[in-house]
Amino acid sequence: MSGIAQKLAANQKQVAISEFFEKNKHFLGFDSLSRSLITAVKEAVDNALDACEEARILPTIKVQVTKIDTKKDIIELKVEDNGPGIPQKSIEKVFGQLLFGSRFHAIRQSRGQQGIGITGVVMYSQLTTGKPTHVKSKIATEATAAFVDIGLDTRKNKATKSNSGREIWEEENGEIKKHGLEVTCRMKAKYQKGRQSVWQYLRMTSIVNPHAEITFTDPDGEVHFWPRVTERLPRKVESIKPHPHGILLGQLQRMLSESKDSRMSVFLRMNFSGVSGRAAKELCAAADIEVNVKPKAMKPEQMRALLEAFQGERMFNGKPVKLLNPPTNCLSPIEEMLIKKGLSKTIDSRYATTMTRVPSVSLGNPYQVEVGLIFGGNMAADKPVEVLRFANRVPLMYQQGGCLLTKAIESVDWRQYGLDQPGGKGVPKGPAAILVHLASTNVQFTSEAKEALAENGEVIEEVRKAMLEMGRGLRKHLEKKKKMAKTKEKFELINDILPAIAKKSAEILERPIPNLAGSITKIMSAVISESETVWNKASKMSDVSIKIYNYTARARAYTILATWPEKSGGIMKNNVFGGRKEATGVWAWKLETLQPGENITITFSLDGLEKGDWTETDVFYRGSQEIIGALKMDEKYLEEIRNQEKIMQELESKSDSNVAEAAPSEATTQDEAANRPEPAVKPPTGQATLFGGEL
Amino acid sequence: MVQQRMSAEDTKVAMHSVVGEMYDKIVKGEPPTMTLPVRTKTNIGFDKKLGVYKYGKKRSTRDATSLGSAKQLLRALHVIEFIEEMIDSGKSSTLREMYYISESWGLGKFGSQNESNNLAEDLEIVTRCLREDFKLRPEEDGARMIGNLTIQERNRRGEWMRINARDDVGDSGYGVPYNVEKEKIELLEHDINFIMAIETGGMFDRLVENGFDEDFKCGLLHLKGQPARSTRRIIKRMSEEWDLPVVVFLDGDPWSFRIFASIAYGAIKTAHISEYLATPSATYLGITADDIMAYELPSDDLSKKDIEALNAELSDPRFADSWWQEQINMMLELGKKAEQQSLAKYGLDFVTDTYLPEKLAELGLA
Repeated sequence: MSGIAQKLAANQKQVAISEFFEKNKHFLGFDSLSRSLITAVKEAVDNALDACEEARILPTIKVQVTKIDTKKDIIELKVEDNGPGIPQKSIEKVFGQLLFGSRFHAIRQSRGQQGIGITGVVMYSQLTTGKPTHVKSKIATEATAAFVDIGLDTRKNKATKSNSGREIWEEENGEIKKHGLEVTCRMKAKYQKGRQSVWQYLRMTSIVNPHAEITFTDPDGEVHFWPRVTERLPRKVESIKPHPHGILLGQLQRMLSESKDSRMSVFLRMNFSGVSGRAAKELCAAADIEVNVKPKAMKPEQMRALLEAFQGERMFNGKPVKLLNPPTNCLSPIEEMLIKKGLSKTIDSRYATTMTRVPSVSLGNPYQVEVGLIFGGNMAADKPVEVLRFANRVPLMYQQGGCLLTKAIESVDWRQYGLDQPGGKGVPKGPAAILVHLASTNVQFTSEAKEALAENGEVIEEVRKAMLEMGRGLRKHLEKKKKMAKTKEKFELINDILPAIAKKSAEILERPIPNLAGSITKIMSAVISESETVWNKASKMSDVSIKIYNYTARARAYTILATWPEKSGGIMKNNVFGGRKEATGVWAWKLETLQPGENITITFSLDGLEKGDWTETDVFYRGSQEIIGALKMDEKYLEEIRNQEKIMQELESKSDSNVAEAAPSEATTQDEAANRPEPAVKPPTGQATLFGGEL
Repeated sequence: MVQQRMSAEDTKVAMHSVVGEMYDKIVKGEPPTMTLPVRTKTNIGFDKKLGVYKYGKKRSTRDATSLGSAKQLLRALHVIEFIEEMIDSGKSSTLREMYYISESWGLGKFGSQNESNNLAEDLEIVTRCLREDFKLRPEEDGARMIGNLTIQERNRRGEWMRINARDDVGDSGYGVPYNVEKEKIELLEHDINFIMAIETGGMFDRLVENGFDEDFKCGLLHLKGQPARSTRRIIKRMSEEWDLPVVVFLDGDPWSFRIFASIAYGAIKTAHISEYLATPSATYLGITADDIMAYELPSDDLSKKDIEALNAELSDPRFADSWWQEQINMMLELGKKAEQQSLAKYGLDFVTDTYLPEKLAELGLA
């Protein structure tokens, strides 16, 4: 234990729990009656999601908020999950004893980087209502569930246990529950509706956790249900070692003092990511340190010199020491298809586009940006778009204006993409919602409230780029919709009205019905494309057909391009027309000649997708004559795809070399907690998380 | 002078030429078309020979390159077929009935009553037929008349009925039918010096009650707002066949100016048959912008729409003469309009005892 842990553990007897709470309520998320409830839900739900993820269980979570005493603002919160449960003997440790969880020590993307976990909820409940928290837990190997009331003795500053026992836990359908946890607590809190509410928190949580099923019963008894839309659990994330670019002096000091390595070169190679044997030697040389020196024996000036070498301020042979980027497999993006599903199940819309950028590194911290945009449907057209911000899958609900993610949205001129934006500034208006997710091993917040992300030029640019691309997608969609309506009219004209005119005029004049081919060409005087993407129940594939009609007087030649969700696992099948891959997710077919009056159909099927994954195929063309119903290929769009491809390839080759170099030892001594603001007053005892590694 | 009426056969031939234009275009490999004069004030001009405003040379071609136009052509074909059927079976229908009958025309059905009315007019224009030739009747309300004039009207049983519009009618007067052509109405005799057309029913009734028609030996005619075709047509026939002056007594506002223009010069919508409907000798009696000031009439402020209408009239060729330009500009300056019945400010008899005698004296009619 180190850093915050030591500080928190010190002087514990002198400070009352109530004082600790009062002084740190901002930091702990209990600064207002409505936020307290959200924080409590958040701690319980985050724990449930983390536990399920670790145990590889698809989470089913039930949240119920009941008003007990409206005058005194007393609320009961009940959160039930289907996670692995907690063994009876560990329950009081998890909820009552304030231990440090393992995740403060590991560098990886995780939800719980905030507050002091579920213990905070137990404390808050006890302090505001005097009631203990009721916990019921069942693990798979036991027949019955354990229950216990966990409270806090505020005079002795100690956890209390009462009313413990075992019982049969039945599900609503009468079956014995296999495993899970139920937490019930009473607290002084206010239930609110709107943008900052339990409902909104769960709704947002559901969007970025499409693998979870969430049911929420609000105080009015209304049941809100967000279904599971994928069976795929998020990727298991790997812990990584810190990168020299992201390290601070305090951390370095600690790592050195705790090191058991005998030589500096070994220490550097084994405890950092991105440091090869060559780089370790060069760093030592740049910092004027002998490679054979014992890390524990480092003097303060040497530490400072080493840090300067890390940051490239001290050079080797006149150049900063070259370091590899940290591996990015420690990140767990939600991924494009799943964001789309998450958004679509939650918000009614006509169009959804999502994108996951390739991972990147800023100051030694791997990060990855994901964005989504949905448009149309029932959303209000005259209000600012809904901004859905997430950091490591955790919804950010407060301080929208001060957040980097919002600023990135505001930096785009949305008017050119079909949204209103008075003066080209601020959050755009229109029937849309924009989602931004930042996944990172080290999310930097503007303040200890952890609701807004701090400025970072590289990250903002990355988000902006993603926004621009989505904007282009939206514009394409709107243009396409307009053109499709026009095309539909033209087809009605030549297929229905014109034949009727020919027939009726022939009847009146008592003459034969004339041939329509010439008139049709003159009326259409265009090349027209119709495309269709339909789910084929029998083959479990999405069948795509693209039909091109030449209604002009001349023969035409084109390259037709179509998108398919390659990155999300879509596999092209039955592509009888051949062609070739143009870029990731873009296929191209060459049409040598299409004679006047002729039409041609390109068909293919997409395997490896679920129903609803892919409902609209974008069709592009290269060629001089416009094709109604298709878009002229925007070469910029292809360029951006290729850029991302290139970065991806580079990253892959790099992470391979990192793996080769990786040290066998698991333990990382890096303490990320040193970066975070610390409470003004120390809590009486340690800190615990629900699934802390020390149990 | 009266336009020559078409025989049933001529009407069919004229309509077939419209169908032929479409058919031939398709045979030639072109989109089918229908050619029409432009029907806005930019395309009406004074016909010196006829003394009325007619459509000019501007033509627009409605071709089947957009869905809307193509549907119009198809509707036109259905209407033509329907008219042929009516001619052949000796029936007629109202425009509204045709609108409902179009329900069974599938793709060619009308979207609104307005569409069917406009299409009937389009066909009149391109075929040079009258809608009476098409056996189509308007829904619109005909005028009523009171005065010592005698006509004969052929009733439903095909018998001619002799009617004196003073002695044989009640207080509401003689109702003018929708068809006032010679096969339906003949003008027999009269003992009047002029015809006065009146905009509002209230004023018409006031003059009737005060016995104005007898005191001033005139025929009173209630226009009922924007006058129906048959109203304008009967004014023209009485004016020409009996050689009577026509004075028009309306509210003093921009809309009344338009009513007058449609009576005297021809309406924009029916400029193809202006020579048949317009009475160029008609005179605007009042209320003029001068009257509002001279008689200090109670008045209302011009609305935004009134002002727009007045400004539009300034560039309307029918109001191009100096008297109208002066009146319109004066009303714009005044910013006021007044109703006929505002004359009641000076008592119920003021209009018959003072206002009208003074105005008619200016014209040499009293």
